[in-house]
Amino acid sequence: MTPEVQEAIKEISEAYPDCHLESVDDGQGGAVVTVQNIPLEGALYLQTQTWVGFHITHTYPYADVYPHFVRHDLSRRDGKALGEGTSIGTFQKTPAVQISRRTNKLDPTSHTALLKLCKVLRWLTSRP
Amino acid sequence: MADFSSMKRRYRLIVPDDLYRRLDHHLFPGDHDEHGAVIVAGIAESKSEVRLLARELFLAADGIDYVPGKRGYRMLKAGFIADRIAMCGTERLVYLAIHNHGGCDSVQFSSDDLRSHQRGYPALLDIARGMPVGALVFAENAVAGSIWLSGDRQIELSEIVVVGRSRRRLTAAPTRQVSLSSPVYDRQARLFGDLGQAILGRAKVGIIGLGGAGSLIAEYLGRLGVGSFVLVDPDRAELSNLPRLTGASRWDALGWLASEKSPKWLQQIAFRLAKPKVLMARRNILRANPSAKVETIIGDFLEADIAARFTDCDYLFLAADTARARLLFNAIVHQYLIPGVQVGAKVQVDRKTGEVTDVFSVVRPVTPESGCLLCNGLINAAKLQEESISEQERRGQRYVDDPDVIAPSVITLNAVAVSHATDDFLFYMTGLRDPNAPTSFMRFHPRGRQVWSDEPRKSPSCPECGQGPRSRLARGDARRLPVIERTKVKTAEATESGIRLPA
Repeated sequence: MTPEVQEAIKEISEAYPDCHLESVDDGQGGAVVTVQNIPLEGALYLQTQTWVGFHITHTYPYADVYPHFVRHDLSRRDGKALGEGTSIGTFQKTPAVQISRRTNKLDPTSHTALLKLCKVLRWLTSRP
Repeated sequence: MADFSSMKRRYRLIVPDDLYRRLDHHLFPGDHDEHGAVIVAGIAESKSEVRLLARELFLAADGIDYVPGKRGYRMLKAGFIADRIAMCGTERLVYLAIHNHGGCDSVQFSSDDLRSHQRGYPALLDIARGMPVGALVFAENAVAGSIWLSGDRQIELSEIVVVGRSRRRLTAAPTRQVSLSSPVYDRQARLFGDLGQAILGRAKVGIIGLGGAGSLIAEYLGRLGVGSFVLVDPDRAELSNLPRLTGASRWDALGWLASEKSPKWLQQIAFRLAKPKVLMARRNILRANPSAKVETIIGDFLEADIAARFTDCDYLFLAADTARARLLFNAIVHQYLIPGVQVGAKVQVDRKTGEVTDVFSVVRPVTPESGCLLCNGLINAAKLQEESISEQERRGQRYVDDPDVIAPSVITLNAVAVSHATDDFLFYMTGLRDPNAPTSFMRFHPRGRQVWSDEPRKSPSCPECGQGPRSRLARGDARRLPVIERTKVKTAEATESGIRLPA
C-alpha cells in the first residue's frame, strides 16, 4: 500500500476505535477497506449499525473514494425506499447497498477518505 | 539515503524560468554591484549525471542579509544561512549560496570566494546532514558553480539549464561553436542554426502513448533530428487504427488474420501477434534518423519502473488520454522540472441521438511554472477512481460506458494538435521562442473554424506545482510518484455476516 493509503486507513481506524477495520492490499498500492459495526445515528433505519466497505485506490488522495457499500438489508422504519443515490450492488462478492456520492471538486490536500466516510454516513442518516 | 559518492557524474542545475527571472533581476538591477541569494534544490540522479532541481529562491536583502564581508567584499549573514541550511538538512534539499560578479559571458570564483568556501563549507556539510552544499557565482549570461560532497570533495557544476516558458543554458564560459557537417538538416538548420540542430540531436524526449497522436509526434521529431527517445505504449496495431498510425500497413496488424471474415480464434492470434505500436514508431524514427537512440517499452506508463525511465528526459509528450496518465505526467513535470505537453483530439457524440455535438483538438503545455493539469481541473478525481479498479468492479458499479460505443478518431484532428505541440517543442528547445510568449492551452474547433486560448490557472496551494512545504515541486527522487505499486493480492471472502478480508 502507498504511504497515503496507509495513512488514510490509520486515520479511519483512529476515528472509529470501537469499529473493527479490515483492509486488504489491492495489488496496486490501494486497499479494499471494511469497517464493521458503525452505528447508524438517529432512528431512520430499522438497523442500528452497519458495515461500510470502500476502495481507496493507489491514486488516493487525488482520486475520489466512492462508491461506499453498506449492509444489503438496510431498511427505513417508515417503509420508504432508500431512494436516490442508492442502488443494490455487491461489495467483494457480498450483497450490499451501494451509495454513490461523488465529490465533484476534490481538493487532495483536504478531502480525506475519513472525511468522505463521515460525509457519506451523515448523508445516509439524514435522508428526508 | 542517496549516495553522491561518484565523482564521475556531471552535476547540472535545472531552474524554472520564473525563478531564474527573479534571481536575474535581483543580481543585476543595473547598479553594477554585488548581491546575494540562496537556492534550495531537490536531487535527481541517473547513471551519467546528478540534476539539482531548483525548488525555492531566497533573495538576501542588501545591507540586512547580504552585508560587507570580514575578509571579502560582501557576505551572506550567518542567520540568513542558518535558516536555509537547517531547512535543507530537514527536507533533504541541496543548499546553494549565490552571488554575482561584473562582466558577461564568462565568470569564475575569486580567490576570496574560494578561501571562503574552504573555511565555511565543511561546517555547512555537517549541518546539512549528508546533503551536498554548493556555491554559484553569476555574471551576465554566465555561471560557475562548485558542489561540495561529504568528505570535503568538490565537483564543478557543468551548467545551469533554465526550463519552462523559454530554455536557456548557462555555463562558466562560452561553449565551442558547432558546425554542422551533414547536409540532411541544411534547410531546417537555416531556421534554428547549427547549434539549434545540435541541441535537437542531444535532446531526449519521452512520448507516452504511440497511438494516433503519439505516432505523429514520433514521426515529426524523428524527421527534426531529435537524438534520443523513450516510447511507451502497451498496445499493438489493429486494423481500425491503421488510418491514424504513420507508416502503418495491413501487415503490421496482420490484416489477413484480423479481418472480420476470419474466425474469432484467428482474430485473437492477430490481436496478440500484431506489431506493437512502439516498434512501429521506432521504425519511423529510424527511417528518418538512423542514428537516433530509441528506447521502446511495450507496457504501462503507470508501472513504477517504467515511469522512472521518463524522469531524465528533456521534454515529455503525453498522448495517452487517461486520468491516471495525466496525473503521473503532471507529477513528473513538476517533480523533475521537465517541461511537457498534453495533446489530444476529441469528438463528442450524443449517446442517445448519435449526433456529433463537438469536435476539437487540444494542446496543453505543462511547464514547472505554469498552472498544472490538477490546478486546472483536468485530472478528474472520479475517473482516477474508476480507472484504478478492475473492469469487473466497474461493471458491478455501473460506471462503464457502453462497450459498443467507440469514440470517433481522425488523423487530421490529431495532426492539428501534434503540429502545434511539436512546434512549441522546437521553438522552446532551440531558444527561438519569444520568452514572453503565453503558455496558454489551445483548442481548435474545426467545425466553426475557431481557435480558443485558455490561460491556465495556478493555485499557490497546489500539492503538485505550488510552493507549499508539502508540494511535489522539484523534489526529484525524494518523492514517490503516483505509480502502481505491484503486490500479490489475497482475495476477500464473502460470508453471511458481511465481508471477511484476509488479515
